[in-house]
Amino acid sequence: MKNLKKVSLYLLALVAFGFASCQSEDPTKENDGEVITDVTLKFQELNSSNELVGSVLSFKASDPQGIEVGKTPTIQSVSLAKGKKYQMTIEVTNAIKGEDITQEILTEAAAHQFFFLGQVFDSSFFSIQYADAGGVALGLKTIVTVSSSTGTNNSNMRVVLRHDLNKSFPGASNPNFANFVQAGGETDLDLTFPVILN
Amino acid sequence: MIQKAILLCMALVTTLGTLSAQKCDLVLRGRVLHLENNQPIEAAYVWLSESATGVVTDANGNFALKNLCPGQQTIQITFIGHKEIKQSLVLNSATSNLTFKMEEEAVALTGVEVHGHREAVQTTTAVSTLYGEALLQSRGESLGESLKRVAGVTTFSTGNTISKPVIHGLHSNRILILNNGIRLEGQQWGAEHAPEIDPFLADELTVVKGAETVRYGPEAMGGVILVNPPALPTSKKSTTELNLVGNTNGRAGNVAVSHAGGSGKYPGLGYRIQGATRRAGNIQTPNYYQGNTGMSEASLSGAMGYSSSKLGTEAYYSFFTTELGILRDAHTGNLSDLIAIIKNGAPFTQPEFTYTINHPKQVVSHHLAKIKAHYHLNPSWKLNFQYGFQKNNRQEFDRRRGDLNARPSLDLELFTNTAELFVEHNLKSHWTGSMGIHLIQQANSNLPGTGVTPLIPNYDLRNGGVFLMEKYIKGPLELEAGLRYDYRTLSAARYVGNDLQEANLTYQNGSVFLGGMYQINSSWAFTSNLGTAWRPPNVNELFSQGLHHGAAAVELGDANLDTEKSLKWVNGLEFEGKRSTLELTAYANQIRDYIYLNPTGETFVSLRGTFNLYEYLQADAFFYGLDLSGTYSFTENLNGYAKGSIIRAKNTETDTYFPFIPSDRMDWGLSYSFGKNPEQGKNRITLSNALVAKQHREPDFDLAPAPPAYALLNLGYSKKLELFKNTLSLSLQVNNLLNTEYKEYMNRFRYFTADMGRNFQLKFNYQF
Repeated sequence: MKNLKKVSLYLLALVAFGFASCQSEDPTKENDGEVITDVTLKFQELNSSNELVGSVLSFKASDPQGIEVGKTPTIQSVSLAKGKKYQMTIEVTNAIKGEDITQEILTEAAAHQFFFLGQVFDSSFFSIQYADAGGVALGLKTIVTVSSSTGTNNSNMRVVLRHDLNKSFPGASNPNFANFVQAGGETDLDLTFPVILN
Repeated sequence: MIQKAILLCMALVTTLGTLSAQKCDLVLRGRVLHLENNQPIEAAYVWLSESATGVVTDANGNFALKNLCPGQQTIQITFIGHKEIKQSLVLNSATSNLTFKMEEEAVALTGVEVHGHREAVQTTTAVSTLYGEALLQSRGESLGESLKRVAGVTTFSTGNTISKPVIHGLHSNRILILNNGIRLEGQQWGAEHAPEIDPFLADELTVVKGAETVRYGPEAMGGVILVNPPALPTSKKSTTELNLVGNTNGRAGNVAVSHAGGSGKYPGLGYRIQGATRRAGNIQTPNYYQGNTGMSEASLSGAMGYSSSKLGTEAYYSFFTTELGILRDAHTGNLSDLIAIIKNGAPFTQPEFTYTINHPKQVVSHHLAKIKAHYHLNPSWKLNFQYGFQKNNRQEFDRRRGDLNARPSLDLELFTNTAELFVEHNLKSHWTGSMGIHLIQQANSNLPGTGVTPLIPNYDLRNGGVFLMEKYIKGPLELEAGLRYDYRTLSAARYVGNDLQEANLTYQNGSVFLGGMYQINSSWAFTSNLGTAWRPPNVNELFSQGLHHGAAAVELGDANLDTEKSLKWVNGLEFEGKRSTLELTAYANQIRDYIYLNPTGETFVSLRGTFNLYEYLQADAFFYGLDLSGTYSFTENLNGYAKGSIIRAKNTETDTYFPFIPSDRMDWGLSYSFGKNPEQGKNRITLSNALVAKQHREPDFDLAPAPPAYALLNLGYSKKLELFKNTLSLSLQVNNLLNTEYKEYMNRFRYFTADMGRNFQLKFNYQF
């Protein structure tokens, strides 16, 4: 009986310890690292000898909260001149965390790729080719040629960033590859810019 | 003296009554139980002096004495270490079923065997158990898959590696899983969170189909699953079991070893250690491999116990860890990705076979430690104590950029303490019952550094319950009733951006049940159980806010959700004849304020594309259905079985159907035994056929329509050999023999891929 008392005391102590030591941690602020808040398309004219001329035109799409219900992103219209050739570069940032995601995409060029779709390509207003360093098909830098005769001044361009895709999938080397989903991976960005052609 | 006289009179009356046809064709059936815990006693000797016949009880404590003449008899029951029972009884057609309880000898004699203590399920509700041969056949499968062998149990799965048991249409937080008597507390709210338990640790899987909140606490709304390891040995006798399983599909292999032994020096002291591991690669559908569907799993458990005539103690520890690959293409970036793959009907990427597990994946570990003690205050009263500690870690990895890829997007640590203190009484009269208190404390923390706003907040939960149950047993009749009261507090906190969100919530509820069992005659028994259950809303239902990564869905919780309350009525009819058995379960479950994830029909746009918007809502629901299973012996060699289940579930407020309710299904098969002793199943060929109907009762909104009906054929051969005087069981099974391409409605990956193709499985079990 004495033993039993001892044992039960030990048991009680153990249980009390277990229950007392079991408290949740205080919550901490978590900066969403994966979120893209700003996408900027930068255009600079290329002359006939493929030299950069003139000033840089910037068009931005932003969603300050990242993905949040009830908020829609603000997207500026891309305004370009007909019959000209541009170098387009894309900058991607996470303003919440103050992070330049462009660099990360460049580092992981083998797992990322931009595709360019929408009416500007369907109606052949634009033609585009990858111009990234090292000849990889990535799309952070491209050459965009605007047709000199377009049926309308208002159009749109869809920009898609795929992550973790099979870049050697047949057709994936084309920046206008509409069946990009077949190359696998998932979408990190999918946004449509209005395009105004003058 | 008077009693004897009455007996004599009664004997005379009955003799007179049957004199005209003095036929000696009566059957006396009965059951022998341990007085202290109502467990069946196997191998007790039952002797009728007047008829000079005797019989030994079977594993369930049952005995049957046949061809008896009416009249007065003296029944004598003996079992080692227990007091002999000697009673007079009058045999007539009405005394067909009796229950005897044997009391342990107070003085432990040297050399007397002390039996192990394992709690038997004492309920009048419908119960199905997998053990022995049936469990052996399921070895190598997950808990969910194993339990599919029980009629009325299906699985809610995410691919072929994650499966959650579904009882009568309910799963996750609406059923309970007990690992050796302790409520398994992981992150069970998630549809893709499989129970953290390895069925290899069990020698018995029991499904209780009734609402058993009173006995086991809140959330046991649809039913309870008991995963029970074998009882610890109490004598010097060691057993070792080795299981090897190999599969061609996924090129999967299992190794499981267990060893149990007792001490010769200290009678009553026993131990058991058990370990298992599993490794599998990409699953193959009939036409392609599912990318990144490999898994690896390891588990370990150990127990040590001491039993004496009055005191029983046990310490138990189990560890489970798993790494699960998630089908690459099932992880979609936005709604158009999702639509594209659903339209394609198969994954876009169909890589070759590999064991490598890439992101997305889950890494989960679970520790459970418990101590248990009981003390017999006297032959009728027993004091029980149980304490369990659990630590659950869940990490989920997505495909991410840069340094973040190495970090989990979800990193949860959950501690749970449970304690139970209760007294049981088992009176020699007709009453047994228990009363006690039950405490649960839980602390959930998001480990910092995920770079993702947590899906669920950090929280502290406390639950206290008091319960009382009483059962009356008299002859063929058992009546049972119980009540319980619970009080729960929940305090949660989380940062969303820079905003601190806090909530303090309390819930309370009472539960009652009423049940009965009636042994109609020696072959028919009827059970009925009416019980209430409740479930407080879970943290994800209260606080979800944001993107469900990979599912292209934004889910919104509601902190004002009410508790769910249910009333379940389960009726069971059992028949056990010479050649056939039959088990029929019919139930109705009325759930008030059933919480469900409702598609709002709205989408919302972000830089990442479009997402579907879902919200947690409450509505009244009504579930009802039937489970049927039966066996029939055509000859000594040829046996057949069939089982099936039907479930109907409706949102009675909007008159619509809920998603992910199992469709009608049945399974039937034939087995042919041959060899020297066919009844021992030394050589057996089994052919079975599973038929699954299309789910026609679909919700208004689903990403894809329900897949068509399918039929699968399985073929198996098993052989038992004698090897060094021990039994070696070998079996070869072919599942999905015809390599049928199909999709199962209850598999969330039906949107993305076909189910598993043909699989050859080789099993080896040796006990020595």
